[in-house]
Amino acid sequence: MGKLLSNPKVLIAALIAVAILFTSFLGGAVGAGLGLGFLGGPIPLIQLPAEYIVEIGGYQLMNTFVMFWLAMLVLLILTFLATRKMKDVPGRWQNLFEAFFEFFIKLAESAAGGRKGRMFLPVVTAIFLGVIASNWLGTLPGVGTIGRIETVEEFLEVKIVKELKALGASDLAKDLKKQGLPAFIEEHVGNHEVEEAITDVFAEHAEDKFVVFNGSSGIGLIPLGRGEDFKVRLNQVVQRPSDFSAHDMELFIEQAEHPRFLAGVQHDELEATDLEGARVGLLVPYFRGASTDLNTTLAIAIFAMVSVQFWGFRNLGVKGYGGKFIFNPITKPIEAFVGVLELIGEFIKIISFTFRLFGNMFAGEILLIAMGFLLPLIGIIPFLGLELFVGAIQAAIFSVLTLIFGSIAIIAHDHGHEEEHGAHGAEPEAQH
Amino acid sequence: MEALGITLPGLLTQLISFTILVFVLYKFLYGPITRMLDERAERIKNSLEAAERARTEAASSAATVEQEMVKARQEGQRMIADAQEAARRASDQIAERSRLQAEEIIARAESEIGQQRDAAIEDLRREFAGLAVLAAERIVERELDVARHQELIDRVLEEGLSSRNN
Repeated sequence: MGKLLSNPKVLIAALIAVAILFTSFLGGAVGAGLGLGFLGGPIPLIQLPAEYIVEIGGYQLMNTFVMFWLAMLVLLILTFLATRKMKDVPGRWQNLFEAFFEFFIKLAESAAGGRKGRMFLPVVTAIFLGVIASNWLGTLPGVGTIGRIETVEEFLEVKIVKELKALGASDLAKDLKKQGLPAFIEEHVGNHEVEEAITDVFAEHAEDKFVVFNGSSGIGLIPLGRGEDFKVRLNQVVQRPSDFSAHDMELFIEQAEHPRFLAGVQHDELEATDLEGARVGLLVPYFRGASTDLNTTLAIAIFAMVSVQFWGFRNLGVKGYGGKFIFNPITKPIEAFVGVLELIGEFIKIISFTFRLFGNMFAGEILLIAMGFLLPLIGIIPFLGLELFVGAIQAAIFSVLTLIFGSIAIIAHDHGHEEEHGAHGAEPEAQH
Repeated sequence: MEALGITLPGLLTQLISFTILVFVLYKFLYGPITRMLDERAERIKNSLEAAERARTEAASSAATVEQEMVKARQEGQRMIADAQEAARRASDQIAERSRLQAEEIIARAESEIGQQRDAAIEDLRREFAGLAVLAAERIVERELDVARHQELIDRVLEEGLSSRNN
């Protein structure tokens, strides 16, 4: 060690590394406790559902859909590269995919016994490629961090429009969309339906947390608070002029007719000055790893299990495959019960597929965010490697499990024999 | 479901997207690559089989050549042996024949000699008888004395022999 440090290059590198570590430590969450934390990023709001980027005629385009389409695009490009000039002596992309398919062909043939294992491969390999592409794209920088800030005002507007529509006041909803929330509330003070809609929305989302942004940095989280007093001028709270001083803030709070909502704004950790010029809202990232959305994982799981059922029916016939689940409950009560359990098991498999992939990838995303806060700049690096590993493993698990379930589904249950035995056994019993 | 973010439009979107992905990958990636792999495996298998075939063919033709040579060698040896046998038989035959001929010649000669001797003996006997008769006639005609008889017999024999020698 001493010898190594006597080398000036190594010494300098070590010093730089220590300096970076120190800076990162002080700039991160720990340093923030000491009044430093200069590298702190915006506090993100972690939520299970994906965020929508735009809403087109009631259809919400989620950021995870965009990522999945990006993954598809990447796979398409790789497909093009691999199959553009097919040669006997393969190029590097062709070689990669040949090795990949070779691996899966061997696996499938050993799992299903012979060439019929190949029928699983189009689905199984597509699952692997689709999942690994979405997982790995999810670790790219910018995913989950580049986006727009949806202010509380915009958030409430969308919710109130929905509520008004639910209440059957679509005219009012249209007005709200046209005017924007502050002007709309100003105009419709005392309107019973508007009051009801706003009260409902506040009641529903009182516990929802919003991020207080200072510039592009999130400096705190506040709950929306109760909003029985809907007459509050929301835009004053969430979007204040930049020359709004601390004194103004105090005055504003004193004069406010809606103490409960403002109580929400005045969160314990936030000084009134912290709110100066701040916007309150949510970061809506434009990109979010496709596997961190349950819609994606559920869709792939459904596709996989439907394929498994399809393989089962195609190989064993309706009677052969259905006979694994449905028995005559009078002659064979135990089998009938087990069959029902098996049938439920098929649905459980969908759920386990869905949450296995989602859980791993979502947890990974949160882990990266947490490390980004604990040790900014460098803390994320080893965990990025871990995420790549987990992404590949999850893709392998998903596809290989599909393969295994498929090969189990095409194994004939020695049903014919059992039925014969059952028929013979049933007769004497009937005589008793 | 709402809290988990699962929505029907979202689920349908991802289902359709994934179905398209499966189809596209099957059509443009899985199909061509596995076809390529299968073709290559087939070709390698064929060429290996051809090589194997050529090797067995070469081995079998070498064996045939070897067999032919052995056969030829055996044939040659057999022919030599046959020739030797034939020659031996021929020489035996010739020797036998010449022996027989010699024996025949000897036998003939012997029988001829015998015949001649018999004939000579017969002649001699006949002549002796005649001479004896003659001598007896002469003895009877004259007075006999030993000296004269002896002289007479000698003369007769001498005459007889000389006449025989003539």
